[in-house]
Amino acid sequence: MPAALSPFRPRRAALLPALTATALLAACAGTPSSPPTTLTPTSATAAATAGTAHTTYPLTLDNCGFSVTVKAAPQRIVTIKSSATEMVLALGAGDRIVGTGFPDGPVPADLAAGAALPALSDKVPAAEVVLAAQPDLVYGGWESNLTAEGAGDRATLAGLGVATYVAPSACKEPQYQPDRLTFDDVFAEITEAASILDTGAAADELIATQRAALAGVTPDTRGVTALWYSSGDDVPYVGAGIGAPQMIMDALGLTNIAAGVKDTWTAFSWEEVAQQDPDVIVLVDATWNSAEQKKQKLAANPATANLTAVKNQRYLVVPFAATEAGVRNVPATVDLATQLAAVDLG
Amino acid sequence: MSLGRTAPGTGRSSLTLVLAAVVLLASMTVAVTIGPAGIAATDVWQSVGHHLSTLIGRGGPGGPPLGPLLDGVVWELRLPRVLTAAAVGAGLAVAGAVMQSLTRNPLADPYLLGLSSGASLGAVAVLVLGATVLLPVAAFAGAVLALAAALGLAGSLGTLTPARTVLAGLAVSQLCAAGASFIIFWSATNDSYREILAWLMGSLARAGWSAVAIAGVAVVVLGTGLVLSARTLDAFAFGDTAASALGIEVGRTRWSLLTVVALLTGALVAVSGSIGFIGLIVPHAVRLLVGAGHRRLLPLAALLGATFLVWADTAARSLFEPRELPVGIVTAFLGAPVFALLLWRRRSSSQDLA
Repeated sequence: MPAALSPFRPRRAALLPALTATALLAACAGTPSSPPTTLTPTSATAAATAGTAHTTYPLTLDNCGFSVTVKAAPQRIVTIKSSATEMVLALGAGDRIVGTGFPDGPVPADLAAGAALPALSDKVPAAEVVLAAQPDLVYGGWESNLTAEGAGDRATLAGLGVATYVAPSACKEPQYQPDRLTFDDVFAEITEAASILDTGAAADELIATQRAALAGVTPDTRGVTALWYSSGDDVPYVGAGIGAPQMIMDALGLTNIAAGVKDTWTAFSWEEVAQQDPDVIVLVDATWNSAEQKKQKLAANPATANLTAVKNQRYLVVPFAATEAGVRNVPATVDLATQLAAVDLG
Repeated sequence: MSLGRTAPGTGRSSLTLVLAAVVLLASMTVAVTIGPAGIAATDVWQSVGHHLSTLIGRGGPGGPPLGPLLDGVVWELRLPRVLTAAAVGAGLAVAGAVMQSLTRNPLADPYLLGLSSGASLGAVAVLVLGATVLLPVAAFAGAVLALAAALGLAGSLGTLTPARTVLAGLAVSQLCAAGASFIIFWSATNDSYREILAWLMGSLARAGWSAVAIAGVAVVVLGTGLVLSARTLDAFAFGDTAASALGIEVGRTRWSLLTVVALLTGALVAVSGSIGFIGLIVPHAVRLLVGAGHRRLLPLAALLGATFLVWADTAARSLFEPRELPVGIVTAFLGAPVFALLLWRRRSSSQDLA
C-alpha cells in the first residue's frame, strides 16, 4: 500500500482501503463454513417488549477494576474485536456502532444485517483514530485494546467524556478473571453490556433463546477426549482449563486433554498430545490459519500424523470469532454438538 | 576520539544553534498538525491557542473551537506527545554524547549502565505481575537500581575506569534482561505480551502532560548541568592522565557525571521505554558537523535529537495509520541510513569517531 507512506494523507483517503478490505471480508462471509447463528433475536424490536426495567443513568460499574461511569445510553459506539462488535449487534444496537476495529473474522450475516459497521482498522486502531470517530463508548474485547498503545488509555478517554468497557471475561486481574468460565458468566456479560446500552429486553430475549438452545445440547456420553487446537506449529496453542474452550467442551461432554493447565489458552507440547492421543481434535478456523491448513499440517507433521484423530480425520471445526466468550458461544456449541454426534469412534 | 577537526568559529556555531532551534520549533509546530485524525492545521493551532490563552487567564468565552473530542486529540494526545518527543530526544542525545565521552567508547549509549534493562525489569514487573505502582515510577526505580549496581560493581574493582564501567554495566544489563525475560516467559498471559512488546521497543503512546513534566524537568535541570560541565568533559577526551593533570579529580568526577546521565536517562526511559539509536547516533552526527568540543556538541545534539525524535514519532503515529508503530523501530529505520550517509560523506575524516 504505497499511498500509506505519506504522513500528510487526509483521513478520508485512509478509510478507503479499510472499507475495501471490509467489503472483501463481507464477501467471504457468504461461504458455507459460516455457522448457524439463528439463535439471536431477529430484530431490534425485541427491545420494545414490555416489562423489562430500563437502565437508570448515570450508571457506574466496576469493570476489570476500572470504575466506569456511563452518563447516558451510548449513541456512538466504537467496538474492538469481534466479540465486542457481535455483542452490540446481538443486543440490537448495531445502528449505534460508528466504528469497529480488529475483527477476528467476518460477522455472521444475520447479525450484521442492517448495520453499517465502518471499519477503523483491521488491527487495533490508534487512540486518535478512535476519537476522530467521536464515540461516547469504546467497547473492547481485550483489556490490552484499551491502553495508550492501543485504542486509548481508559483514564484519558474517561477524561474526555468517553466511557470504556472491556468484556469482563477478558479481565486479567486474578480477582476479576472468571476462574472457570461458565455459560452463566457469558449470560451475565450479556446482561451487563445490555445495562450499559439500555437494551435490557433484547438481552432477556437473547439469553432465554440461548438457554433454550443450550438445554437442547445433550453432552456426549461416549467418554470422548479432545484437543482444542487454536494455532501454532512447533508449539501448539490450545484451549486450556478455565476459558471459553473448556466451557464449550464441558457442554459437549468432551474431556479436554489440556484441562490441567489453569489458563484460558496455553502453549502445549505435541509430545503431551501424542501421549494423551485425543479421540477428536477441535480445529479453530481463522482467516489467517484455516482449519484446512491445520488438517494438512497435522497430517504432514511426523509428531502428529499418527494420532488417532488425525489418521481417522476426526475433526470438529469452530470459527475463531466464536471461541472467545460472547454471544456466539452457544450457537458454536450447538453446531459442534451436531458435528460431534456425526463422528464415528469405531 | 580527538579534537582533530578544526572547530568552526564561535559566530558560525551560534548561528548554527539558532538555526537548529528554529528548525526544532518549526518541526513541532508542523508535527502537531499531522495525525490520523485529519484535523486542519489552522484548527489545530486555534485549539492550542485557545488552551494557551485559557492557561494565562485570558481565554475567550465558550468552549474550545473544535468540539471536545477533536480538541482532546490535539490537547491531550498530540501536543503532549510532540513535547515529550522533543524532551526525550534532546535528553537522549545529550546523555549519549556524555556517556561516549566519559567512557571514551564510540559505542556507548545512554543505556550503557544497564539502565534500559533495569527500567524494563521494573516496567515488566508492573505490566505482567501487576505490581501496584505506576509504570514510570517502577521503570525509574529499576533504572536507578541498575545504575547503583553497575557503579557499585565497577567501583568495587578499583578506580572507575572506562573499561570497568562498561563491563560492570554489561553484567548488570544482562542480569536485568534475563530477569525481565523470565517474568515475561513465566507469567505473561495472552494479550499482556502486546503491551510489553510496545513498551520494550520504545513508544511515546503513553505520553500525557505528566510525561511532559517528567521529561521536561529532567532535561532542563540535568541537561543544563551536563552542558555546564562541557569544559570538564573536554578534558576527559584527552584521557584520564591529561584530565587529572588539568586538576580534575578523575574518579569522583566521572562517578558524579555518570550519575547525572543515569538519572536523566532513567527519567526518560520511564516515560518512553528505551528508544534506541538516538543517544548513539545523534552525538556522532553532530560531532561530524561541529567537532568534538562539548560546548558546541551538547546544545546542538540536544536540538537535533529533539527534532529527530519529533519527526520519528510523527512518522510512527501517522505512516501506518490507523495503526501505530513503536517509535524505536522508526528511529532505527530513519537513523541508520542517515548516519551511514553522514559517515560516507565524511569518509576522509571519519577516523575522528574513534
